[in-house]
Amino acid sequence: MAYQLYRNTTLGNSLQESLDELIQTQQITPQLALQVLLQFDKAINTALASRVRNRVNFRGSLNTYRFCDNVWTFVLNDVEFREVTDLVKVDKVKIVACDGKSESTQNKMDK
Amino acid sequence: MASSANSNPVPKLYKSVIEDVINEVRELFLDEGVDEQVLLELKTLWENKLLQSKAVEGFHTEEQAALQAAQQQQQQQQQVQQVQQVQQVTQPAQAQQVILPPQQQQAPQQQVIVQDSKILQHMSATGMSAAATAATLALPTGVTPYQQLITSQGQILQVVRAPNGAQYIIQQPQQQILLQQQMQPGGVQAPVIQQVLAPLQGGLPQQTGVIIQPQQIVLASGNKVQGSTQVMQAAMAQQPGQAATAQVQQVQQAQGAAAPQAQPQQQAQAQAQPQAQQPPMMLQVDGAGDTSSEEDEDEEEEYDEDDEEEKDKDGGEDGQVEEEPLNSGDDVSDEEDQELFDTENVVVCQYDKIHRSKNKWKFHLKDGIMNLNGRDYVFSKAIGDAEW
Repeated sequence: MAYQLYRNTTLGNSLQESLDELIQTQQITPQLALQVLLQFDKAINTALASRVRNRVNFRGSLNTYRFCDNVWTFVLNDVEFREVTDLVKVDKVKIVACDGKSESTQNKMDK
Repeated sequence: MASSANSNPVPKLYKSVIEDVINEVRELFLDEGVDEQVLLELKTLWENKLLQSKAVEGFHTEEQAALQAAQQQQQQQQQVQQVQQVQQVTQPAQAQQVILPPQQQQAPQQQVIVQDSKILQHMSATGMSAAATAATLALPTGVTPYQQLITSQGQILQVVRAPNGAQYIIQQPQQQILLQQQMQPGGVQAPVIQQVLAPLQGGLPQQTGVIIQPQQIVLASGNKVQGSTQVMQAAMAQQPGQAATAQVQQVQQAQGAAAPQAQPQQQAQAQAQPQAQQPPMMLQVDGAGDTSSEEDEDEEEEYDEDDEEEKDKDGGEDGQVEEEPLNSGDDVSDEEDQELFDTENVVVCQYDKIHRSKNKWKFHLKDGIMNLNGRDYVFSKAIGDAEW
């Protein structure tokens, strides 16, 4: 199963809201909505892995870090995100990161 | 195509994801027996929300416009069918304008339109039971039919009572549904209705129909609405989305044509509604500071103790008459200093490697979606440094 990590993004949230509206008007069942979300998980994971090809660098100060259930959560302050094209500065950013290896290497738990 | 390589990859990525998801899900929808129309509606809702969020730039606008034009045509076709079924009086084609309520209510409103033809066929025979009427009219929850009144014009009015005490009249003319709010202390209804309808009967070629959601009416009434046109305008103003604005323009064009005749209607309704007294209370999103109603006072009583303390602290908070002190203590100075977009900047990604040396952290991340300062970015790899 693909990570449900990306549901809390603009794309994912707008999908969830749309599905909720359809459920409210009883045009679809909650079960169907869940299936749609699962499909979304697969699609976004695939798309990010295959269709995106750019690099970003960032620097800042680490405010908090947490590692729980193989998920890292960081809060950074005064961060600069640098891409080739442009620079974005934020005062505070939260980074949520799931294990990037576990999906593809579930059979290779040698470590 | 070198220039396009530098362009933002986000809209394309999102579009491709949407297409993928919709296509994959089509089978699921069909298996469940859900109509393709619902699938298209999902797609439209999804894209609209993305547009509204402004997190992505320049996104699918042409397709959306085409879809909405198609939807409008479908609704007009439905109305045309209804006219043919029910009424022999010919109406100009441009007269059939229906303002859609917010999209979440689109489906039930369509059902209402279709079923009205059946209702009108039955109306002449018997009065329907309240439950049956509620079911067929697909009324919003909690709204129950209260009375049925027949005007001299032969139109059947359904007086509907909402749980908050507001009473609405659903007028069922040929193909339109007109919701008018009756703001009354709960007294006699029949004479007022007839009074309101009198100018309508006087040759007004009901060219415009307006569907107003009861919720929107209440919101407007909370601000002391003085005439139904204001109600309609408030309702229309509160409806986001392109569908509403496109149809509002059409309604206004039709209204322009019927302007001289619409004015007596407006005046009559304005006269009918000075009786407006306690506006019903519902969720009010435009802030307090208006007429106090029972519920307002109740809420204020609860917060009285906090009131005194916090009003002493924030004496400078003017212009908030009877305002619950919910807001006065909430403002933290940090909020003003932060960015105008109150998004929390979030990066959702996967980690390849997280490394730490003393207090120096290094992050190796991949496949991420970022929302920074309200805008969306993506990356396939991200490398970062931070000191803790």
